Amino acid sequence: MNLLSALRGALSSLILAAALATTSSPALAQTAYEAALPPELGTAAALCDYVPCAEVLPGATSFSERKGRPPYVEAYAEENGQRKLVGYVMLSTDITDTPAYSGKPVVTLIGMNTEGRFVGVKILKHSEPILLLGIPESALVAFNNQYLGKFVGDNIEIGRSRPDEGIIGLDAISGATVTVIAQNQVMMTSGAAVGRQVGILEPTVRPQARFVDGGRTLDWATLVAEGAVRNLKVMPEQVGLQRSATPFIDLWFGYLNHPEIGRSILGEAGWRALMARLAEGEHAVFVIRSGGNESFKGSGFVRGGIYDRVQIRQGQDAFTFRDLDYLNLYGVNAAGAPAFNESAIFIVRSSAFSGAFPWKFIFLGNRVDRETGARTFANFDTEYWLADRHLEGGRPEVIKPDAPWVKVWKARALEIGLFAALLVAVAVVYANRDALTRRSTRKNKWPVNAFKYTFWVISIGFVGFGLLAQPSITQVLTWFHSLLFQWQWELFLTDPFIFLFWIFIILTTFVWGRGLFCGWMCPFGSLSELIYKVAGAIGLKRFQFALPMKWHNRLKWVKYGVFFALLAVSVFSMGLAEMLAEVEPFKTTFLVGMFNRAWPYTLFVAVLLGLSIFIERPFCKYLCPLGASLAMPSTFRWFGLKRKQECNSCKACAVGCGSLAIDEHGRIDHRECMHCLDCMVLYTDEHACPPLAQERKRRTKAGLPLTPIGADGYYIPIKPVPAAKA
Amino acid sequence: MNDAKMTPVEAMPDPSRRKFLNTAAFAGLAGAGLSVGLSACNKETAAPAAAPTAAPTPAAAAAAGHNSVHLKPGELDTYYGLWSGGHTGDFRVLGLPSGRELHRVPCFVPDALVGWGITNESKAIMGTKPDGSLRYTVGDTHHTHASYKDGNYDGRYAWINDKINSRIARIRLDYMICDKITELPNVQGFHGIFPDKRDPVDPAINYTTRVFCGAEFHIPLPNDGRDLESPEKYRTLFSCVDAETMEVRWQVLIDGNCDLAATSFDGKLAATNQYNTEGGVHYEGMMSAERDACLFFNIARIEQAVKDGKFTTFGTSKVPVVDGTRASNTDPKTALVGYVSVPKNPHGVNASPDGKYFICAGKLSPTATVIELSKVLEWFDGKLDDLDKSIVAEVEIGLGPLHTAFDGRGNAYTTLFLDSQIVKWNVDAAIKFHAGDKNAQYVVDRLDVHYQPGHINASQSETMFADGKWLCVGCKFSKDRFLPVGPLHAETEQLVDISGEKMVLMADHPVRPEPHDFIIFKRELLQPKQVYDINEFPLAVKDAKEAGVFRDGNKVTVKITSMAPAFEPREFKLKLGDEVTIILTNLDKIEDLTHGFAIPKYNINFICNPQETKSVTFKADKPGVFWCYCTHFCHALHLEMRSRMIVEA
Repeated sequence: MNLLSALRGALSSLILAAALATTSSPALAQTAYEAALPPELGTAAALCDYVPCAEVLPGATSFSERKGRPPYVEAYAEENGQRKLVGYVMLSTDITDTPAYSGKPVVTLIGMNTEGRFVGVKILKHSEPILLLGIPESALVAFNNQYLGKFVGDNIEIGRSRPDEGIIGLDAISGATVTVIAQNQVMMTSGAAVGRQVGILEPTVRPQARFVDGGRTLDWATLVAEGAVRNLKVMPEQVGLQRSATPFIDLWFGYLNHPEIGRSILGEAGWRALMARLAEGEHAVFVIRSGGNESFKGSGFVRGGIYDRVQIRQGQDAFTFRDLDYLNLYGVNAAGAPAFNESAIFIVRSSAFSGAFPWKFIFLGNRVDRETGARTFANFDTEYWLADRHLEGGRPEVIKPDAPWVKVWKARALEIGLFAALLVAVAVVYANRDALTRRSTRKNKWPVNAFKYTFWVISIGFVGFGLLAQPSITQVLTWFHSLLFQWQWELFLTDPFIFLFWIFIILTTFVWGRGLFCGWMCPFGSLSELIYKVAGAIGLKRFQFALPMKWHNRLKWVKYGVFFALLAVSVFSMGLAEMLAEVEPFKTTFLVGMFNRAWPYTLFVAVLLGLSIFIERPFCKYLCPLGASLAMPSTFRWFGLKRKQECNSCKACAVGCGSLAIDEHGRIDHRECMHCLDCMVLYTDEHACPPLAQERKRRTKAGLPLTPIGADGYYIPIKPVPAAKA
Repeated sequence: MNDAKMTPVEAMPDPSRRKFLNTAAFAGLAGAGLSVGLSACNKETAAPAAAPTAAPTPAAAAAAGHNSVHLKPGELDTYYGLWSGGHTGDFRVLGLPSGRELHRVPCFVPDALVGWGITNESKAIMGTKPDGSLRYTVGDTHHTHASYKDGNYDGRYAWINDKINSRIARIRLDYMICDKITELPNVQGFHGIFPDKRDPVDPAINYTTRVFCGAEFHIPLPNDGRDLESPEKYRTLFSCVDAETMEVRWQVLIDGNCDLAATSFDGKLAATNQYNTEGGVHYEGMMSAERDACLFFNIARIEQAVKDGKFTTFGTSKVPVVDGTRASNTDPKTALVGYVSVPKNPHGVNASPDGKYFICAGKLSPTATVIELSKVLEWFDGKLDDLDKSIVAEVEIGLGPLHTAFDGRGNAYTTLFLDSQIVKWNVDAAIKFHAGDKNAQYVVDRLDVHYQPGHINASQSETMFADGKWLCVGCKFSKDRFLPVGPLHAETEQLVDISGEKMVLMADHPVRPEPHDFIIFKRELLQPKQVYDINEFPLAVKDAKEAGVFRDGNKVTVKITSMAPAFEPREFKLKLGDEVTIILTNLDKIEDLTHGFAIPKYNINFICNPQETKSVTFKADKPGVFWCYCTHFCHALHLEMRSRMIVEA
């Protein structure tokens, strides 16, 4: 195990070093990409001994230790010899573990003055590949600077300002939408969490619950069935430990203020005694540990008086427990309750909490990276909401703020609709390709090409440059890893166009093969072939050529090599794989723009597109790892292109196959085919398809009628109708 | 040794064991100051012992299937035990079944840990002489009982007696501190104590409002130098203390003395057993009568008499004293008290959890006397001609019966001091036996304990909710049960599992001498507070900014706050001869973060719990630098937590 990881570490650092050596520039060393943070950062009380707090709170000269829950530090300035509170500094990862595009958080140090206005933002560490290569980190710094002077209580969103809705817009970074959406969430969540603690933001007051008391005393199974008791289980692998069947911690919890639940858990006398201890607006929640060896109490409460492993969250409000908010839970009365070896009654002392509304019980854990031993914040929660039958009038209506991805879908609904319509249109057109190819002839392919070229232009202009929806091999790698480790729909849903595009890609690849995406819809592929077609049309045809089949058949394997190399590297280092994925010119072409990048990238794109003048789709044929990854499943497409018996020997269409996908036996390689449909045009062209032409001539000579061409590509045979029986 | 004078007892109920233990038993009795025979009680035939007592205790075998007394780390006890501390003068809290001592609450005597008797607040509770010094520094606590509501403990208070100086202390069970001490007037040897369980008249008062206190020793009334050589004029009083105000409500002048006390669940009756009806001044005189008594008090009638002004007072005491002598209470219909005769120097009177019976243990008689309360009430109503007809059983159970506990299943468990045994006997069967059914097997089981048991109590035994789980017995001698630590031995509190038919001895818990009585109840019944409420202290220094030295002539007040790891102020200056009062508020709010405050050479140390305020007053009579330091470990910088007291010459 250790040997393996050491090997892996050595290998990845070697590759990284090699990669850096080739692209190295002095600025790179200064970036926050995977910057090493002091190990004490997550735990040390004196946060500002380890990070430059003064940089985000100009004017502050001294800082308190971490305080509060979630933690922050107070910043002080000397004024006339007096220490004066000037603001608060918070570390984003103390407050939220919102992941960015990389799946890891952007560790941000945030300064906020006493009025609740942001006064400084500093990225301490990020793992965003797009910011390593492509978009300069300064873009994120510029993005963050938009927060300066803005109030934490404002409604700040990515996109246009909408004053009528009270929304302040921030300019996004093109090509790094996921990153900035995550960053906005981090900024606003962190600011609000501290703002609420220090009194800048008003606490929410929720109407208190009115309980239905049917006088029932419930057993454990009923409590669980009614959702009155809920489970929160964390498995070892979720916190980076060795996978095991034994849970890391297995907790049950429930809300005791409700008379039926309270009585069932504590017994009548116990419940009454507990309620007598609670003041108005106080709430009791019980917790038992029925499995696992991890303690939910920990020992933090001994020194600091605060239980640092459990928390309750309702809406934006987090409720933590002090030692004085803890009472012994001596036993669970409900019949059938599991045995437990740790227990507590925690008291929420705030009327901001209400039993009528949903809330979450949160276990605050740490995920240990087994390679580095580094600990990162990992929260696990289970939602709790009293059932309709427990509440007078049932559950109140709750308007939950939309998740970031929902906001994106709503904000771009029109474009999403158009894009979806486009995808459907492409599929419908292709599904009816037979009608189009029959209308076309070798001389006149416009019935097919009119559609195809239209889609090309749309995909280059609207999809590529407009929506930046250029699918990439990095997504394949990310999914591959997500499948292996942790699948987060939210992350993928944050980019609706890519999300829809991939649904299209996956479906069409298995139905027809990858050619429909690659040949009709891929923005870069379309651009590449359009250049080739335009160049041909404007008189450069004589310079255009295809590689000899011998070489083509060798070189076409290169793209598979590229794909598997990336996949292999990604196992060791996703970051490095993302870097190496620059073999795709997509980022430079669409996401960032050719003139926004360092010259080697621009040159690379220029070469590829320049080559496209002379060779049809050189990148697609030989380099594209995305194409390679889609080519393999294309082997299993449901509907291929049609062939007839003579195709084995005739090979007339192979001559015109721009993709060089028809071999010497006349077979179409669906892994290489771009679905240009040229061969399908020939298939029913009675003048161009040799077997058909031959038959046409024979029938014409014999004075036989030319019947329509059947689905099998032949004239419908003339069968003499047998004479009617006398 | 005077055991040479002992007369062997004939016809013992349990010969085999008796022979074996004879000498030791009497030696023990001799040690207790008794040197004469126990002959009076053995005329009757031996009690039908259900189980031969010499049979070995089935401890190990039966232990399987019983709850362990050994808790895993982090596991909590299921019962609280409140213990008296004997002449250490304190009150103790134990966790059961583990037997771990969790707390000692100082009350009657000074305590160096918390500064009880050092701080002004504790001195005010303990009582001081005109010069400010403590009036008493010794105490002897015997019995503790807690307040009731609806027949169960309500977790408000416990009370404890001081036999030496006749004081009663109240323990607040929320903070586990002593908050009031009352000295009873005109009594000596205050021994038995019991709170009532509800009001005899007002049904709305379903909780404790009175505490009854019995006095053992006969003294002249008032004891101001009169009647010194006229013992026949010595008297004892039975006292009633108000549970809230802790003032003595009334007293009853009685014939004979008071020993232990009991109260009925209906609130109507209180009782005390009497071992010295003779009024003897030496033990021979005290044990001359064959029968002594159990004395019943009709609470409603006594209070009506007080209301009607039918009382007197003694000496400087303003407490009304009603007449409870036999001569004045001959007519049952108006009697304030009734005397039920009980054999020879009884000890212990215990109320059964079903509310029906009081049981007196015979001590010098091997019997237990079961008195039916409804019959006592009938006598007070004039419906029973002879009060002794309320005795529904008087059965032999063994030698030297002292105290009785109950399991809520109809069984009584009585300590046999001389037999070093517990006898489990069935009350209903005993009543049948007494009524003439000689086949009734009332003794269920016997268990050897180690050694010479005094008090006994079972979980929830003194409530209507006796649960029959655990029995604890306070053995007065431990002898060989623990590692030897010199001539003074720990006492043995032995824990017995009584959930089954047979008693199973589960554990020996050593206790520092010398607890007497105790009660055991479910942990759910107590809800102690975690920290103090700063607003409960009028002197509280609520902010470190309020700390400092405040001078008024030579009277100096130093207000100090503590917040780990610092005192505020960190130094303060005094002048020689100043009369100094230090007020310390512990501003830490973290549970368990207690600070101490010691002043070297000034003989001062006390602790301040989170959010608590305490004060001390002393004369700055030594010049120099004195490092006041935190004595109660609090923080990594505990040793650095100091304040410099500078006394300028």
